[in-house]
Amino acid sequence: MSMKRCKFEDQIDNYLLNRLEGGDRDKFEEHYFNCTNCFQKIEERNDLIAAIKSRGASIFKEEPVPERKTFVPTFEKIYSFFTPRQWATAAISAALLLVAVFGILPQFRKSTPQFFLSENEVVRGESLSLISPIIDVKVVPSFFEWKQLGQDVEYKIYIYNDKLLWTASTKENRVDVPEDIKQLMVAGEKYSWQVRAFSSKGTLIAVSSKVQFQIKATE
Amino acid sequence: MPAELNLDEIVQKYRPVVSFKVKKSLGTRTPDWEDVVNEVITQVIEKVKKGEFRGESSIGTFIYTITSRRIIDYIRQKTKVLKGIPEPSILPDPCDDTESRERARILGEAIKRLKPKFKEVLDLYYYQELSREEVAQRLGISPRRVSERLNYAQKLLRKMIKR
Repeated sequence: MSMKRCKFEDQIDNYLLNRLEGGDRDKFEEHYFNCTNCFQKIEERNDLIAAIKSRGASIFKEEPVPERKTFVPTFEKIYSFFTPRQWATAAISAALLLVAVFGILPQFRKSTPQFFLSENEVVRGESLSLISPIIDVKVVPSFFEWKQLGQDVEYKIYIYNDKLLWTASTKENRVDVPEDIKQLMVAGEKYSWQVRAFSSKGTLIAVSSKVQFQIKATE
Repeated sequence: MPAELNLDEIVQKYRPVVSFKVKKSLGTRTPDWEDVVNEVITQVIEKVKKGEFRGESSIGTFIYTITSRRIIDYIRQKTKVLKGIPEPSILPDPCDDTESRERARILGEAIKRLKPKFKEVLDLYYYQELSREEVAQRLGISPRRVSERLNYAQKLLRKMIKR
């Protein structure tokens, strides 16, 4: 059997669905009176269409044909979930939430301390840098110095041996060590110190790291 | 009459074609459709015997011409008789006889077993009679893909029915 496709084959559906008219229909009909191959295909297609036409309601009822596959139905489904009034309420709530998250909360964050201390005194937030002494020294230091944070800040210094040795407050960024304390600090021993800064209202605003130094023994 | 023509073979080969054309034109609900077919076949035999077929066209075209004229005559005659009464529908209804009904049932069952993508294209194109382009638009595929699915669906049905 020749596999060559007849040019009239494309018109089979149109003929059977009554879409061919006048001269086109006559030519097509004359053709199938002369072409056994096309006539067989017409009969077969006619059986299919007849079956679909007579039983289509039951054949296709189980699975409804989907509507046009676009995003529109999904959008409509979502839109119809709420009434317009509910959508307006939801939109206002969402706007208020956004204002709260991005407008109000950051302001609260600014007024809260920018650090906290854990049990091990880990410092987070604004840093307070110590200047001297930060390495081993040959003699007992006569002063302690750190970097100034701003105006009207009160600093509290803590010097530790095994326990707190001395503490003092000042508004300067350095403090001289009293003689009686200097005498308590001996060569060969390790010491550590730390400074905490307070605002004029007494709020803790910064804490330095705890720096250790040793007074080297003179030979 | 061309010597090679065998009337029995002609009748055997062309009766189904004539029947198809008559049914398509008059509809199977027209009770006389079989009479019209028999009249056409009788006319063909007589004309061939009288030497009216001289081989100027193909035998298929010769029979097609006789069939078309007879159908037109029939419709004219019926129109005259039924003048003043609404014309009966001439839409074909090929499922009238028992054999056709059984064929339609088997095909219907086979269509139900097709995958949804083939079923939906048969539904839209043949049942709802949308154009190829409209089906393509509805399903979000190209018209060419619609044709491919229609062809493949029919190929599958052919296989299913042969089993």
